[in-house]
Amino acid sequence: MNRRNFLTLTGTFTGGMLVLPSFLHAFGSQSNLINGEQCIVFVQLNGGNDGLNTFIPYDDPLYYELRTKIALNKDAVVGKNKGMAFHPSLKDFAQMQQNGDLTVIQNVGYPEPIRSHFRSQEIWQTATDSNKYINEGWLGRFLDLQCNGHQATAGINLDSIDNLALKGVEPNFITVKDPDRFKVKSKEENVTLSKNPHLDFVRKIANSVTEGSDEIQKALAKSKTEISYPKTELSKNLEWIARLIKGNLNSKVYYTSLNGFDTHDNQLSIHERKLTDLNDSIYSFYSDLKEAQLLQNVTVVVFSEFGRRVKDNGNGTDHGTAAPMFIIGGNNKGTILGKNPNLADLDNGDLKHEIDFRSVYASLLKEKMNFDYSKIGIANKPVSGLFA
Amino acid sequence: MKKSSLWSLRLGFSGKQASTIEKLGLEKFLKHSYDSKFDTEMPAFLQDQPKTTLELKQVRELVKNSDPETKKEIQKKENQATAALKKWWIAKMRNDEFPLRENMVCFWHNHFVSTSQKVKINYWIYQHNMILRENAFGNFKDLTKQILKSNAMVRYLDNGDNKKGKINENLSRELLELFTIGIGNYTEEDIKNGAKALAGLNIGDDGAVYRKNIEDNSDKTYFGKTGNWKADDLVDIIFEQKNIPYLITRKILKWFIYDNPPEDLVIYYGDYFRKQKFEIEPLLTKIFTEEFKKENSGNKIKDPLVYILQLCDELQIENVDDVAIMAFIKQQGMDLYNQVNVKGWDGGNSWLTSQIYLQRNNTSDLLCSGKSLNRKVLKTMVNGVEKEKSEYEKTAVKVVFDSNGNNKTIISELSDRLLFSVSNSAQKDMENLLKYDFDPKDPHADFAVVRVFNYITKLPEYQLI
Repeated sequence: MNRRNFLTLTGTFTGGMLVLPSFLHAFGSQSNLINGEQCIVFVQLNGGNDGLNTFIPYDDPLYYELRTKIALNKDAVVGKNKGMAFHPSLKDFAQMQQNGDLTVIQNVGYPEPIRSHFRSQEIWQTATDSNKYINEGWLGRFLDLQCNGHQATAGINLDSIDNLALKGVEPNFITVKDPDRFKVKSKEENVTLSKNPHLDFVRKIANSVTEGSDEIQKALAKSKTEISYPKTELSKNLEWIARLIKGNLNSKVYYTSLNGFDTHDNQLSIHERKLTDLNDSIYSFYSDLKEAQLLQNVTVVVFSEFGRRVKDNGNGTDHGTAAPMFIIGGNNKGTILGKNPNLADLDNGDLKHEIDFRSVYASLLKEKMNFDYSKIGIANKPVSGLFA
Repeated sequence: MKKSSLWSLRLGFSGKQASTIEKLGLEKFLKHSYDSKFDTEMPAFLQDQPKTTLELKQVRELVKNSDPETKKEIQKKENQATAALKKWWIAKMRNDEFPLRENMVCFWHNHFVSTSQKVKINYWIYQHNMILRENAFGNFKDLTKQILKSNAMVRYLDNGDNKKGKINENLSRELLELFTIGIGNYTEEDIKNGAKALAGLNIGDDGAVYRKNIEDNSDKTYFGKTGNWKADDLVDIIFEQKNIPYLITRKILKWFIYDNPPEDLVIYYGDYFRKQKFEIEPLLTKIFTEEFKKENSGNKIKDPLVYILQLCDELQIENVDDVAIMAFIKQQGMDLYNQVNVKGWDGGNSWLTSQIYLQRNNTSDLLCSGKSLNRKVLKTMVNGVEKEKSEYEKTAVKVVFDSNGNNKTIISELSDRLLFSVSNSAQKDMENLLKYDFDPKDPHADFAVVRVFNYITKLPEYQLI
């Protein structure tokens, strides 16, 4: 009996409420699934990624006028499509789009934008208006409603700190600081020794106490890495997420991040390096899932807390507002949504947003999680035309 | 960590006294602690509990002649009084302006172990507790004499079975092995003869008394001295022995500062203790004032009591439920008056297992999100049975921070108060949680600072003081 049948049966015998978290039950009866379970993988670019130099309006003379120091050459950009093209480092993003697996959503932001990293990340993570506050994240609220009681591995956060987006009333997610740790479980624990034996003792214990580690172990045991990933932290995290997905860990949400996008100075080289890492890591992940025939079940979402000022400032850019989001896999339509950025109509030098990020969230929840987004307080309409 | 915060945690149970220590200075703080008054009135919940041997006999008769329902009822009342006694004590630990006395009571109760499970008579446990409170800073030798003649100890170590001609060595053995001089410093003969001296010492109305018909009035040789020794004489002789000060000095150092106290310090302070004729107050003053000057933080794993009381204090939780505290420390292996054996809690590394650590982290998550700790929640943590969401009542929690600062000043403020050392990676993580453009004046800044606090409490460094 395969897992889906099992779930349907269990649902029938118990009314669907007693044994399993409700999202598990929802899967049993969901009809639009091709093969197994849907999940969403978030890749947050920390620091405010410069959207205009990521997905570039290379045909717009204003772009070159306003960015005298950092504009990218028309001949260098890749994957030209309706006046827009990718940063040269994102050659595989262009490839994925050509394959019909990547959608760009343009000019994503929110009203009354805040240019503080701290606060703007909070807004993206809680999905509130920029003048409203809430102590639970949007995914945390979603998981609270989807899981009966608590389900430690409903969300997996790969970071050294907990993620506000996943924080709910119940602990429905775990933060995994170092995925490597899980591979060496039965062996001697790897602890960097300090000069303090008491501290070393506590660290060893701390390393052994991740709730849900049994489920993770099981998923890891069932899968292996088939392709080779680059040796960066983001790659490592994505490789590991791929193994958990392939190993059938029933997590709905994975979250990881890449730092270093706060390019006030020396932008060209820093940005190139960061986007190369992003490109290579995501493309490996994409290829891995594609090979495993799981790409249709996994939606990757790449975003940042804000874009950057249109006009450059010396060799860098200041904090801005709207920027593109990228959706990869999950049966998206592989298209470009929204108009090209309008560099002639700015708000104090910043792009005006056209699509609210919560519309993207709404679309993800509705179409990928089969969940009524209004239950977690999202009032925006879903973006249409994102998924097939 | 700031010294005042460190020593507030060491001398009390939380960071609550840090400002007082700063204001008064350590020595004055100690003086106030020694001079602190305490409640000597018997708590109301003991009113109905049997106290004299006659009352005990009556209860026993009643139980014998009652139907199962009444028996159950009597048992229930006793259990309630046992819980009330713990609750009463925890409230003292939590609320005392100068909690060092209660900390010492806790120390002594883990030295002169006597569990309520075995002793059963709540009033005796209360008496035992009061002897420790009255003598918390008194004279070790006097205290030993008093404890030896307490009903609780006589019951706990089976001296009721120790009769002339039918010796039970239990009390005599622990008197030497655990309470005073320690293993390696006496012979089996000393134990046998000590037991003879203690024979007949049995439960009395106002502490243990010798029963004439079962006491042993022969001459016994104890550490080479011969005479018709009784309980007090034994203690006098033990305290003449060369190695008497070290065991207790080591334990004090362990309780307050070092999980593994350096042996040279044990000798150094121990010799001073002997010179002070086993007066505890000057010993504590010397240890605390001299150790205060050293950089010696991070040498001790927090016990469950400090862990939970510090958490409640930092999050400024009002209406702390002492029953929940009691249940928490019990699950964490620190049930008051209920140590596993006469040796007491080992402390140190034995406080932490992965299960216990996980529960600490979960408890911090719970409290940091404004939910309250209650027994039901604790139960589900252990059994893994899920609770109804409505069981949670959320309140706003906040931690103290200076809103005139910036992300870095707030991070150092918290680290100074909570962490004995801050690793580079922890610093980076905290600056990630509280970024440079974080606005402390933002009306909801509290949320973010509590998240940093929550992060800190789950660091290995936070487990140490």
